[in-house]
Amino acid sequence: MKTIPLLAILLLANYSRASAQELTPAQTDFFENHIRPILADKCYKCHSTLAEKIKGGLLLDSREALLKGGDSGKAIVPGDPEASLLIKAVRYTDPDLQMPKDKKLADDEIAALEQWVKMGAPDPRTATADQRKWSDNKTNHWAWQPIKRVAIPEASDSDWCKTPVDNFILAKLDENGLKPNPPADKRTLIRRATFDLIGLPPTVEEVEAFVNDNSSDAFAKVVDRLLASPHYGERWGRHWLDVARYSDTKGAPRRNTEDNVNPFAWTYRDYVIRSFNEDKPYNKFIMEQLAADRLPSTQYNPASLAALGFLTTGDHFMGMQNDIINDRIDVTCKGFLALTVTCARCHDHKFDPIPQKDYYSLRGIFDSCTEPKIEPVIVRVTDSLAYQSYARQREQLANKEFELESSLPKLRRAEDREAFKMAQRDLRETEHAISELELTNPAAPSRAMVLEDTMKGHDSPVFIRGEAGNRGEIVPRRFLQMLSAPVRPVYTNGSGRLQLAMAIASPNNPLTPRVMINRIWLHHFGAGFVPTPDDFGMMSDPPSHPELIDYLAMNLMTNGWSIKKIHRLIMLSSVYQESSTDNPRYAAIDPGNRLLWRANLRRLEFEPLRDSLLAIGGILNTNLYGRPVDLRQHPESNRRTIYDFVDRANIPDVLINFDFATPDMVTGIRHQTTVPQQALFLMNSPIVIDLARRLVALPEFVDLDDDTARLKFLYERIYQRLPEPEEVSLGLEFVTQTPLRDDNSIAVASNLDEGKKRLGKKNRQPPFLNKKRAPLTSWEEFAQALLQANETSFIN
Amino acid sequence: MRNQQFALTVISDKAMNQDDNYKSEHSVHLEDHFLTRRQFLQRAGMGFGALSLAALFGEGLLSNIAHAEAEATLLPKVPPFPAKAKHVVHVFAQGAPSHVDTWDPKPALTRMDGKEIPNMNGVGYGSPFKFTNRGKAGIEVSEVFPQMGDMVDDLAVIRSCYTDIPAHEVATIMMNTGSRLVRPSLGSWVLYGLGSENQNMPGFISLRPGGAPPGGTSNWQSAFLPGLYQGVSINTKVPTLNQLIENIRNPVTPLEEQRRQLDLVHKLNEIHSQNLQKEAQLESRLEAFEMAFKMQTEATDAFDLSKEPQGIRELYGRSAQGNQMLITRRLIERGVRFVQVWAGGWDHHQDLEERLPERAKDIDQPLAAFIKDLKQRGLFDETLIVWGGEFGRKPTRDRNGGDNPGRDHNAKAFSTILAGGGVRGGMTYGATDEFGNAAIENKVHVHDLHATILALLGFDHKKLTYRYNGRDFRLTETYGEIIKPVIA
Repeated sequence: MKTIPLLAILLLANYSRASAQELTPAQTDFFENHIRPILADKCYKCHSTLAEKIKGGLLLDSREALLKGGDSGKAIVPGDPEASLLIKAVRYTDPDLQMPKDKKLADDEIAALEQWVKMGAPDPRTATADQRKWSDNKTNHWAWQPIKRVAIPEASDSDWCKTPVDNFILAKLDENGLKPNPPADKRTLIRRATFDLIGLPPTVEEVEAFVNDNSSDAFAKVVDRLLASPHYGERWGRHWLDVARYSDTKGAPRRNTEDNVNPFAWTYRDYVIRSFNEDKPYNKFIMEQLAADRLPSTQYNPASLAALGFLTTGDHFMGMQNDIINDRIDVTCKGFLALTVTCARCHDHKFDPIPQKDYYSLRGIFDSCTEPKIEPVIVRVTDSLAYQSYARQREQLANKEFELESSLPKLRRAEDREAFKMAQRDLRETEHAISELELTNPAAPSRAMVLEDTMKGHDSPVFIRGEAGNRGEIVPRRFLQMLSAPVRPVYTNGSGRLQLAMAIASPNNPLTPRVMINRIWLHHFGAGFVPTPDDFGMMSDPPSHPELIDYLAMNLMTNGWSIKKIHRLIMLSSVYQESSTDNPRYAAIDPGNRLLWRANLRRLEFEPLRDSLLAIGGILNTNLYGRPVDLRQHPESNRRTIYDFVDRANIPDVLINFDFATPDMVTGIRHQTTVPQQALFLMNSPIVIDLARRLVALPEFVDLDDDTARLKFLYERIYQRLPEPEEVSLGLEFVTQTPLRDDNSIAVASNLDEGKKRLGKKNRQPPFLNKKRAPLTSWEEFAQALLQANETSFIN
Repeated sequence: MRNQQFALTVISDKAMNQDDNYKSEHSVHLEDHFLTRRQFLQRAGMGFGALSLAALFGEGLLSNIAHAEAEATLLPKVPPFPAKAKHVVHVFAQGAPSHVDTWDPKPALTRMDGKEIPNMNGVGYGSPFKFTNRGKAGIEVSEVFPQMGDMVDDLAVIRSCYTDIPAHEVATIMMNTGSRLVRPSLGSWVLYGLGSENQNMPGFISLRPGGAPPGGTSNWQSAFLPGLYQGVSINTKVPTLNQLIENIRNPVTPLEEQRRQLDLVHKLNEIHSQNLQKEAQLESRLEAFEMAFKMQTEATDAFDLSKEPQGIRELYGRSAQGNQMLITRRLIERGVRFVQVWAGGWDHHQDLEERLPERAKDIDQPLAAFIKDLKQRGLFDETLIVWGGEFGRKPTRDRNGGDNPGRDHNAKAFSTILAGGGVRGGMTYGATDEFGNAAIENKVHVHDLHATILALLGFDHKKLTYRYNGRDFRLTETYGEIIKPVIA
């Protein structure tokens, strides 16, 4: 250690060179002999990439990291020990900054560090592998490369390749020595297409028409008919609502000031359905959901304000603004970009090139927005008697609300706890009455759950470690670094939401179209090119068909961002029309069928399952749009399931059991679990039992002459096909046996009783037939068995 | 069948490499192990011994073959380390019980009763209850828990718990999920890690006597874990067994007839799947129907307390909590993995002297009975019991109390009781300051409790992870230290 002063003098001559890449051998020696051992022994435990937990956001295991510093700022100022936090910390002079925490370094160790900083901190270490990877991501990872115009591969089988999509698929199959399955039969195909596009089974007539249509564009006609159906929006709108974590309630409302219900969330749901039905260009769909209030077109179409529900129908986290903003950043970035930006709330993203500052750039944008207390009306109001009655009630409630609100500060000042609490309770009740009125009164004009810019936009500080009380540098409002040109424009127009929307919807943004293409593909095939639709980051699996995803992304943009055109392109391809038949040899090579040598067997989600049961029974209410129906309170409702009232704090068991998308997070793909509760629904629920009775009570069924004809009727009605001879004999055998009866074991379904009571009171819908507790006949049981069997719940 | 044979031989070497093409450099994850049993056997080409072999082969083999079609199941799984406990019963004393009146005696506070305590901005409120030394261990327990006091040699009394935020809903969710955000609950993690021993019952059941607790479903949610790991919430106050689980009984078809119908369904499915790839989904659906059929009788049976002898009913007491604890025992007996029992009402801002003993009385006899009953059935050693609230209370008088004082919320200190599987009984752990205002010695955060519970079940809490949106999530986030001294 005695040699240090001498050595230091020698090295000081090289001071200016220390920051350059090349170090003299003496500098390297000094570092290796005197500095690295201290850092490694005393600091790396908490301050290196290998640390179990990195403390204070500070890394000391590379020169870059050292200079970058941690939460408290730069660790060293080369050449100036007095200004270097690291030196201050090891000196133990500041009681709030003493490192290493457990024991002060020896004096000669401190001296060595001081000398080293004075020398300009020569440091031969480069960033560790992990850190390098982080900075190289931007150039390497496929997902953030510009979309390439790709050449369509040559077809080895030009008959099979009906569209360019097929060329890409076939090329990959060829590479792996696989051949595509033969086409599915027409009945299977129309059933698949109909469930895919409108979430309902085809009618017997539709099937017959298609089977008998021998023209070459027979299937194209089916696809076009389905794309034109208003039920298309109900099916694909629901997929989008999964992404938009849609709910009709606030989850955890602001205590004492808010009611739990969002009485106008449904206007956003309707906006989504309508947008899909109108084939709204996807870039416009994005712009409206992020910034409809700032778009000139909104002037002519105020209804599009409802689009902002994308941002505002999230959880209210008991009024914790930072969590609300976090949720908005999350839904925006995962939903449109498949980026997990919210990981950067507390620290730089561990895997993707998203610095913590980027999160706070976005935070600034959303923190410069507010929700008005009264939402704007988006329909023309007609001055009917019903409206006047509504308006009177609304006014009374508004007056009461105003009185109570203005009484609260006085009561608080007076420290009259009892009166204060009472007023709070009254206010809560008033808020609840208001949302009840708005939600249920048909004369209440529709409103949009908008977000507005505050008078003046402001930038946000970085919250160090995500702690709101621990403020760091203020960062400008602007877009993510990884998706921007080197000079990033700063947003000054209001909150900056409009500019953010433009950046996301920009054709130069490679993620936006790729992410949407992946979402569309996934709902046609059961799996996306990228298996994780909400995360295209470094931790996601690479796409199965990278060229095809780019081809389709380019196609989406060049065709006016039309989603319907993409459906058409995909569905008219041979790959969509393959059969799902097994091929054990191929299954051994590609068990997950990622190369799509066959069609995937897919299970229906709860919505199309319940909707198809109602459709098969002939009682589906095909009305579109409107206020939600609470299916728990009205199990007899025959509206489509998408119109169910979604209470995020209280999702019904039946939805949970069928893997409904949790409305608290972006859900690009639902889980697919198989649990006994799903079977119980088909075995025991009133809706299924009722349907079985209903089918057998249909005049078309009753009027048939013989049992075989009846079997055929049920097969066509439920499966849209005729039974095989094996199925006929099985069915006949079953229905000719007398059901076993044990009257003692007939349980009483209490939920039926409840349903009946409510029906008696409100009498809104045709009552369930199975109010009768008579046991099922053989035929009814047979019909129910068909409904329980796999074919009802799966598309193949 | 020949084709299938062929597939099996190919898979054992070739398909695994094939899968590698699609695999990124991910480390191995538990979710990759979730094949259905049939799928696994089919893929691996092994007999039933394969299930235990899976553990021997370790992660590599399984993750490779499972990658493409990972699927969740409730089949029982062996934890990576020897487990001390197989089941968990979490009795949640929601409302935040006062620790200084129950498990954490503070004579210094008694001396300061009615006097201003420095730096605490309030007047001291000495506990109105008497503490006496109980059990061989001589641990001081409040008179409000006479019967639990008798059991103290089986209990580990942790006196140094703390949490982040003293608000009921946030802290209740925190205790159950380890987070304020949307995260899977403790029970869901346990079910994900261990599966269930009874396939005819839900593996994670939450019992509540009436309405939903603060935070509602968040407390038993599975969040990003698959839905089958979600707790099934059951209102134990519903009048009939049929109302306990949705669609648990058929309103019109007798069981024998339903059996005949179900056999037909299976035959229909067989015809349907003839040409399809042997899908795990279809196979597990067949099993699901069979389970559902059995559940109809078994699940309702578990809740049918009329089947218990008089003596046992008296042991637990015929009260709401007595019923809940007795149901809990019937569930544990049937192999249910995790039971959450809501036993709340502890938010005593005023009238503490009168109201706290009532709440204590609600649970004192049932919980003591539960321990005794598990012991006589040999289940105590494999069942981890947790009793505690979401935070504690202040040593000072709550200013709302007036003449009938209570205590305000306090996130800095509370007590939690552990017992049963793997827990060292007859001990106290940690300490609060002389007035009980804050934990100061061997502090135990909620994350530490979670880490300890997982450790008792045979898991390293840092390794029980689930990949969601590119990140490995775990119950304890980036925190959690195991409280080793309480582990026997």
